[in-house]
Amino acid sequence: MTVNARRALGWAAVVAALIVYPFVDRVLGFQTVHAVSDGMIYVLLALGLNIVVGYAGLLDLGYAAFFAIGAYSMGLLNSPVLGSPLYGYPWSFWVCIWIAAVVSALLGVAIGAPTLRVRGDYLAIITLGFGEIIPVAIRNLGDVTIEIGSWRPIERLNLTGGENGVNPVGRPQLPGVPFETDPVPWYFLILVIGALSLWAMNRLRDSRLGRAWMAIREDETAADCTGVNPISTKLLAFALGASFSGFAGSVYAAKLQAITPGAFEFQVSIMLLCMVVLGGAGSLKGVILGGMLITLFDRVVLTQTTFMVRALGRTIGVPALATADLTLWRWFFFGLGLVLVMLLRPEGLAGRRLRPAPVADEAEDILDVVRAPRVDGVPEWLRERAQDGVAAAPAILDVRSVTKRFGGVVALNEVDLVVPRGAIIGLIGPNGAGKTTFFNVVTGLVRPDGGHITFNGVGLVGLRPNAIVARGIARTFQSIRLFQNMTVLENALVGEHCRLTATVPGAVLRPPAVIAEETRARARARELLTFVGLGGKENELARNLPYGDQRRLEIARALATEPRLLLLDEPSAGMNPREAQTLTELIGLLRRELALSVLLIEHHMEVVMGISDRITVLDYGTRIAEGTPAAIQRDSRVIEAYLGTGYEQDLAG
Amino acid sequence: MLDLADVSTYYGNIRALRGISLTVAAGEIVTLIGTNGAGKTTTLRTILGTVRPHRGTVSFNGHRLDTLTTNRIVRLGIAQSPEGRRIFPRMTVLENLELGAFVRPDREAIAPDLERVFTLFPRLRERSAQKGGTLSGGEQQMLAIGRALMARPALLLLDEPSMGLSPILVDTIFRIVEDINRQGTTILLVEQNARMALRVAHRGYVIQTGRIVLHDAAAALLRSDLVRKTYLGEK
Repeated sequence: MTVNARRALGWAAVVAALIVYPFVDRVLGFQTVHAVSDGMIYVLLALGLNIVVGYAGLLDLGYAAFFAIGAYSMGLLNSPVLGSPLYGYPWSFWVCIWIAAVVSALLGVAIGAPTLRVRGDYLAIITLGFGEIIPVAIRNLGDVTIEIGSWRPIERLNLTGGENGVNPVGRPQLPGVPFETDPVPWYFLILVIGALSLWAMNRLRDSRLGRAWMAIREDETAADCTGVNPISTKLLAFALGASFSGFAGSVYAAKLQAITPGAFEFQVSIMLLCMVVLGGAGSLKGVILGGMLITLFDRVVLTQTTFMVRALGRTIGVPALATADLTLWRWFFFGLGLVLVMLLRPEGLAGRRLRPAPVADEAEDILDVVRAPRVDGVPEWLRERAQDGVAAAPAILDVRSVTKRFGGVVALNEVDLVVPRGAIIGLIGPNGAGKTTFFNVVTGLVRPDGGHITFNGVGLVGLRPNAIVARGIARTFQSIRLFQNMTVLENALVGEHCRLTATVPGAVLRPPAVIAEETRARARARELLTFVGLGGKENELARNLPYGDQRRLEIARALATEPRLLLLDEPSAGMNPREAQTLTELIGLLRRELALSVLLIEHHMEVVMGISDRITVLDYGTRIAEGTPAAIQRDSRVIEAYLGTGYEQDLAG
Repeated sequence: MLDLADVSTYYGNIRALRGISLTVAAGEIVTLIGTNGAGKTTTLRTILGTVRPHRGTVSFNGHRLDTLTTNRIVRLGIAQSPEGRRIFPRMTVLENLELGAFVRPDREAIAPDLERVFTLFPRLRERSAQKGGTLSGGEQQMLAIGRALMARPALLLLDEPSMGLSPILVDTIFRIVEDINRQGTTILLVEQNARMALRVAHRGYVIQTGRIVLHDAAAALLRSDLVRKTYLGEK
């Protein structure tokens, strides 16, 4: 049997089991359908939270707020007690569920916006605050009076039902389906919503948007410098994560037929977070598993065990057991379970296990490991791009008297630097001279205090890094900054992010144009990886690559953004002379074949002297020399500050 | 002084070291050269106890290291300047250096040693009040070496000390390595810059895919075909 057939069979079995389950349950009299349906609602919530925490890596401790918003949207629009006075009649469940999702998504954006610049601890604290604010607001909006002088435009308005909540909430109407009396229709309704959500999430994850989330999670700065807009990407994660909880909340409200503010407290946020972490953040399967385990443990296992313990207590005559209530211990068990999982399987029950870097295979000839780049390996689409760049200005990059101060330290002092079109320009200087700061200024990571930066005739100062990438400048980092827990192929695909156009509907529905775009992107990424010598390693995690391969992948990722100017920050650091030679050939090839301009920070003199057309030397933030490699090597100031006298032996050797 | 006998180290089920035997005698500079992923850093980690060998023994001055925790090993007199620097970014340069001397009982001797580090690296003196994380890459490298020296180790493990340094500083670093050695510190040096490493070292080992394939006097290795072709980039 082929793998595909086996997989199809597996899916058919799962679907059949899910369909048959409620009827089997009824026949056997287990009465677990209610609990399982509730479990699925929590799974849906956990899946939404997984977008924020698992994919985008934004720790959200107040996610229950969105659950509340979804539930109350349904409660207010669909309740005969609260909805009717405001809107005349309760709106249909089938309309409200969409409104709830949209309202939640909007609130997700509103809550996400102030947190965009913070991460980690700070983000967690802010979301914690929102998680507290929402239930409090709901409690206090049950009796609103606005008084301006003697004018009372709103008097004793009951907006949320206050502490008592909304009761009853209307149920869905569907001809012939007994939502009022039978748990089974609920089971199927939630199953369908859950399945559709899962389907959408699965597709989102494998789209350019899903990759952007993960890139942000792995390294926000690197993602920004690879063309991913962190602001819109994070807001989208908040919005979509919240919209799924809008669905979950509204179904929850209608199923329970009543909602109170108490159902959306902090513990709920924590429980949802536990589900995500227990199952494995970022893994859909894991989150489903985590959600189901926790809910069923809570709703079925604890109550049944309590039942049995009491029966046991009565039989053997121990009063402490006969009156025991294990459900009161639920947080103890959750806590214990979480601690055990984190100790034994820190990646979660179904998370991707991280393997360490393997050593090159024994059989592999050491010299073959360093493959020289080949002209015919240059991807054709990159060549085509090379022809696009019409010479607008003779200089592709023109930096004029750029200054940057950090506190009292002048990191860059009126630095001028010109990169002519198609040139390779070396940037050298002692450690701490400001070379990397110069890169950071050009790529928009650091805003200069003065001066102009012109790329292709357009000013760059003030643009965000991702906007600069989109204009055609790509960079690598001195200390390699790959997206460690993404595959080699995904890393290259993130590079193409700013050249792809799929939006949320496109990513979910996959019209032919999106499929074609994604197929082309993958083909291009593969070509590029083969070109830099990473063919066959597409599915390895970036973190598992040996050092030299990581350097090559960083270059491939930069090339995937289709740059016209490439900034390389010490690309040969940590390479032996032979690897450095290969790198030199690669850079030369890129310039020759793709008319790519290169700005190169490098300490290996055999690399920088060998391929640079001209070299600029920085010392203490000031340009101390500029000229051809030959002239630079004779410059007494450069020899004194930077080269010393030992380098000649290196060059000669 | 240091003796690795038939050491195999695994990461999960991948064997990173395949029976490495290596000795460093007191007063020596020994260099370990090899390509990326050959197992150089793993060897250092195994010595320091941050990964455990599956097979074989690591001993230092008669103590078995492969059963001790890392901080016990450091107290025996081994210090490391790790690859990728690993300085404390939110502490000042001075605090970083002082932490290097954390395990030492001889408080009064620390001040002269700090002076020695500042003399070796004047740049660190200039920046002593700055946070470690604000230093440039090369300066962080100096700080990492300086911090290791502050422990006044009997054996100093240097992992790629020349990485990311300007040519003049590479010269300086290797001169400092020789100085430190002359002042009585034994050194195990892991390097990509095989030429410089073999120039300052007394003996060298070549490691490929987790195995020692060649070991000899440094001068002899500089002349060997394998080293010249693969590690010196000669045609």
